[in-house]
Amino acid sequence: METLLSPDPGLYIWTIVSFLVLVGLLKAFAWGPLLRAVEERESAMRSEREKAEAARREAEGIQRSLAEQLKGVDAQAQEILSKAAREGEALRERLKKDAEEESKRLLERSREQLVEEKARLVVELRGEVAALSVQAAERLLKKSLDPGVKKEALSEFLGQLDARGGGKGPGGGA
Amino acid sequence: MNFEEVVGHHLLDHAIGPFAAVGGIRFGLSKHLLMMWINGSLLLVGISWLSRGRSKAAQLARMAVEMVVLFIRDDIVEPILGHAGRPYLHYFLTLFFFILLCNLAGLVPYGATATGNIAVTAALASCTFALIVLGGIREQGLSGFLKHIVPGGLPWWILPIMFVVEISGLFAKCFALTIRLFANMIAGHIVALGFLSLIFTFGAASRLAGLAAAPFSVAVVVFVNALEVLVCLLQAYIFTMLTAVFVGGALHPH
Repeated sequence: METLLSPDPGLYIWTIVSFLVLVGLLKAFAWGPLLRAVEERESAMRSEREKAEAARREAEGIQRSLAEQLKGVDAQAQEILSKAAREGEALRERLKKDAEEESKRLLERSREQLVEEKARLVVELRGEVAALSVQAAERLLKKSLDPGVKKEALSEFLGQLDARGGGKGPGGGA
Repeated sequence: MNFEEVVGHHLLDHAIGPFAAVGGIRFGLSKHLLMMWINGSLLLVGISWLSRGRSKAAQLARMAVEMVVLFIRDDIVEPILGHAGRPYLHYFLTLFFFILLCNLAGLVPYGATATGNIAVTAALASCTFALIVLGGIREQGLSGFLKHIVPGGLPWWILPIMFVVEISGLFAKCFALTIRLFANMIAGHIVALGFLSLIFTFGAASRLAGLAAAPFSVAVVVFVNALEVLVCLLQAYIFTMLTAVFVGGALHPH
């Protein structure tokens, strides 16, 4: 049994040489290609995963910006609506004021016209009344009275008429 | 029949072919050397084929081998050596598969267990030793490697003693590697041969006793052989693992 426990130096050296040669050969022809294939596959998988993650991040970014945009749109719409309401209100105010002014102006003008008309009518009426009175007086006095009395009475009458017309307005003549 | 003769015939190396003696050392082709060359050639051809082959069989074989390769890379070399272990990965792969194949070759009829030869395991352990030293020097420089042989934080007067202790520890580790693989590989064979010899021991007493002992012996030998398959895998793993641990200690002293 001693031979079992005593190493053979020849075989020892042979083993070292053979093993080291095997290490070199396997590195060149076996493990090299195998590990390269494994690492290529792994890096491909890693890059695929990274790509997928980047795509997800991008999608999330787009979603976020869309949500933000939507929020902006909402706010914008709100603003436009309120602005329109404000403008409408202002327009309404302005129109109302215009209409009021217009009506006031019309009222004013019609009043002025009425006054003018009244004045004209007064003058006209005065002439008419004078003529009528003259005719009436003529008829009344034709028979008896002398012209001197007639003239005096007439001028007195006209003076009274004048005083009333200047103080009271159109109703006085009728 | 002499048991020692049988064991010697099955376990010892036998010269085949011519010798060439250089300085008293005889270099000649022997049974174990031949087995190693056969195993090495099988590895070289097999792994080259399956790493390049496009056929279904090559792909299946590649998947199986890749699983082991990834295990060695991700569970032995990477955690122990870190990224510095990447250049040494192919060494560990070769070591594992070579030892595994040499171990298993002993279970094949007409095969022999080269790793059951102490010269072979000593040679493999010497390669580990060389890797520890060269890897340590390559990673830390010669002075750094020598400095880190002794763990830091010790009083100065203890350093010379510790230096000697650590150096002898380095040798002891490799010696343990040598003996562990050798003894594990040879033990199963001796047990199996012992139980098979029982048949002839009983047979020498009486033919009937020999026949009665045979089924029992064969059953035990089958069991031992099954156990040996496990031991072959385990020892290849342990040798690789421990080599990684030792080399890792030299690469990263802290």
